[in-house]
Amino acid sequence: MAAECRFTFDGAPVAAAPGQSLAAALTAAGIRAFRTTATGAGRGVFCGMGVCQDCLVTVDGVPNRRACMTPAAAGMAVATQVAFPALDPAAAATAAPPARRIAPDVLVIGGGAAGLAAAAEAARAGAEVVLLDERRLAGGQYYKQPAGEAPALDAQQAAGAALVAEARAAGAELVGEAAIWGAFDGPLFLGEIGGAALVAAPRTAIVATGAYERPALVPGWTLPGVMTTGAAQTLWRSYRTLPGRRVAVAGSGPLNVQVALELARGGAEVALVAEAGPNPLLHPVPAARLLAAGPRLALQGVAMLAALARRGVALRHRSRLVAVEPAGGGLRAIVDGPGGRRAVVVDAVLMNEGFEPQNEILRLLGAAMDHDPAVGHLRCRRSERMETSVPGLYAAGDCAGLGGAPAAVAEGRIAGRAAAAAAGHGDTHDLYAFERARGRARRFQRALWALHDIRPRPAAVLDPAATLCRCEEVTVGAARAAMAAMQPGHAGSLKRLTRVGMGRCQGRYCGPVAARLVSEASGRPLDALSQFAPRVPVKPVTVGAILAAEQAMAAGDAGG
Amino acid sequence: MPAADLLVIGGGITGTAAAIRAAEAGARVRLIDAGVNAGSDANAGSLHVQLQSRFIRLFPEQAPNVEASLPLYLAAVREWERLEALWGPFDLVRKGGLMLAEGEEQLRFLEGKARREAARGLAVELLDRAALDRLAPWLGPQIVGAELCRDEGKLDPLAANARLKARAAALGVERVAGRVVALTAAAEAATADGARHRADRAVVAAAWGTGALLAAFGLAVPTRAEPLHMNITEPAGPAIGHLVQHAERSITLKQFGTGQIVIGGGWPAEARGPGRVPGVRAASLLGNVALAARLVPAIGGLRVIRTWAGMNTTADGKTILGPVPGAPAVTVAVPGDAGYTLGPLVGRIAAEVALGLPATEDPAPYGLARFSA
Repeated sequence: MAAECRFTFDGAPVAAAPGQSLAAALTAAGIRAFRTTATGAGRGVFCGMGVCQDCLVTVDGVPNRRACMTPAAAGMAVATQVAFPALDPAAAATAAPPARRIAPDVLVIGGGAAGLAAAAEAARAGAEVVLLDERRLAGGQYYKQPAGEAPALDAQQAAGAALVAEARAAGAELVGEAAIWGAFDGPLFLGEIGGAALVAAPRTAIVATGAYERPALVPGWTLPGVMTTGAAQTLWRSYRTLPGRRVAVAGSGPLNVQVALELARGGAEVALVAEAGPNPLLHPVPAARLLAAGPRLALQGVAMLAALARRGVALRHRSRLVAVEPAGGGLRAIVDGPGGRRAVVVDAVLMNEGFEPQNEILRLLGAAMDHDPAVGHLRCRRSERMETSVPGLYAAGDCAGLGGAPAAVAEGRIAGRAAAAAAGHGDTHDLYAFERARGRARRFQRALWALHDIRPRPAAVLDPAATLCRCEEVTVGAARAAMAAMQPGHAGSLKRLTRVGMGRCQGRYCGPVAARLVSEASGRPLDALSQFAPRVPVKPVTVGAILAAEQAMAAGDAGG
Repeated sequence: MPAADLLVIGGGITGTAAAIRAAEAGARVRLIDAGVNAGSDANAGSLHVQLQSRFIRLFPEQAPNVEASLPLYLAAVREWERLEALWGPFDLVRKGGLMLAEGEEQLRFLEGKARREAARGLAVELLDRAALDRLAPWLGPQIVGAELCRDEGKLDPLAANARLKARAAALGVERVAGRVVALTAAAEAATADGARHRADRAVVAAAWGTGALLAAFGLAVPTRAEPLHMNITEPAGPAIGHLVQHAERSITLKQFGTGQIVIGGGWPAEARGPGRVPGVRAASLLGNVALAARLVPAIGGLRVIRTWAGMNTTADGKTILGPVPGAPAVTVAVPGDAGYTLGPLVGRIAAEVALGLPATEDPAPYGLARFSA
């Protein structure tokens, strides 16, 4: 087994386990603030999956590295990132990495449940398949694979490992640390593989980019130590790092319960789990529906609740987080519920109030969407074969609207077969088993969410002191003031007035809320075009990588 | 009774400035905006004064018109400074603009250009590499010299747009959403949704949409929308004070007060119809940013966080400003090349012309008689 390595943070030594991310190693060392903002606020791990851009650190003098996506390495000099890193004239030396051009039959974007299943099916049908995933290890947010050489933690990780092995055995090329940042008509995809530029012109493409978590937009949600439930789960499942010794969990849905239990089993003290939904024991009819729709998963859920209760963890229903405040070296999480207001002091506050689809690539390419008020986000219009309104472009799993991992696997298999067939490999006969599995999974999901509450909070109830845009540090109150003065008719106008959504995360967290603010003020219902217009790049991309892609395109054009 | 004394068609920087000037003079103003948000709302905030090489190359037949208008650009930058002092901050910085040369031939071109500009009153000078090293040590090694125009600058267009719109609102300017499809000599406008708006006078500040509205008056005003591409990086420490351009190639590069580097300068975007925001082209993104990285290698480690596309308006290179021949109630305000730089001044003068007030600058050279059939 590889040995522990050591690096420094602001000059002080920090130990890291093999494969551990910088974010995990720093968290294990009790370091929570990784960067300072323009107003001098501290920020740390928030999304844990490369989306929020808040865990930026400077590594060996190079700023803007995401600690959650960067593995620790021996001898690294890691430093707190300042708000305005100096321009580095030496950056020119590293400005032009090599480029790779690919043109597979099927390009799969995202290596989670849907993407792995799609890659396996398409490759088995005989198609040349390349799967790109931004993390070093495929598996995605549901299967979260262990870093280093740790064995699978449980059946969920084992199932993920099996799906990875299946895709590989079928002949799909799985490429890690590969991110798409641009999608153009064609389709043409531009991205990065490791340090190299990527130019991809596939015959068909399957977008399987999953979802990210909807936070509780309360005062204090940007404090270091406040993170999404999924970020905490990644720290634990992938890196065996607890987000804190004592934690509180708030939001709605089974992920919160599962992670609370995992952390408790891992040695954390779970001070509180606040669930917005009702107690299922007091609502036997929807509970019975859930049991009927998926007895195995429903019983797993019951077992988790019982295990939490045995450990003495307080699960409070119809309760919501209302604020997080600094408290000594820790955080005070304040929760409102039927018993009134209560506060717990913890090291970390975990939050998940549902999910937002990562549909940026689909929207950029013009795939038609519909707003689904039940979950408060967009669903991608698809054929039975998972093809979007853009011919040759498929969408599978949660990026097309919340559906859960079992449905994502089924959709991935259907999309994989269909995309391969469209590229001239295999056919789309006998998809019945996948379609049945998808139908079952969807019925279970409907019953499941009836027992929770993941409708977004109305914009009207948000605290004016809460930060709306993490990147540009705009509060809800400032946005409301701009709206009162100028009556913007669209979220995009609010963006230009206040800078909400103009930062590194591309408006992923404030965008849906800005659209709701405008919708509630104007009375116009939310629709597929209510949000900020999608923009290239979908994730920040270095000028050097763009330079390399330009050289690769120019060379390719010259070669005919 | 008419709804307003003055109807302003177009709510970009020009129309907003016209509305402010008129309202300050006591007029009741109704401003109608189509909400395309692709013109001033998509601008990147360069304050241009020297002749843009891009323009001379693309539209050589219009270059004499632009050259004749150079004094107007100087006055326009002064107008921006006046507005910022009153209603800012807009992050306006006037440290000058550098037009880079990568070879002797480009340097000779800049020498000739600088002579012509100096004759029109611009503060321009040629810099060799040694002078550039003192002024802009972040430039690539292949740059042999540059023309410095001290009159040029940059500002944050988001701040400027928001603050000037707020100023107009505070003055009681009534802002109405709608796309004007017809206008009469009696200053009555019809919008696409069937609504009619009457006033005593009208200012047409409809950018690329102006030509279509003026056809009814027998004028052939060749306004066209030119979809252009822009990029912005994440923040860096302050280093680049100048507006950076190139003697031969399309580029503007500058650093905002936010620390972000904005790269644009005329790379094409994908037109999607006159009423829609244009789309981004991969080739423009790659070419524009790659060129920036060659000229200013120090930005190589920064990440681009957003690109967007907007519309520039072109006509014949010269500002179009004055009453419609035969329809004195209608005044036109379409700034010439670098419309965002000229917009506040042109809008202000148009309001003054429309209301019969003394004009800040003489509009006579920019009149519409040149478009009469």
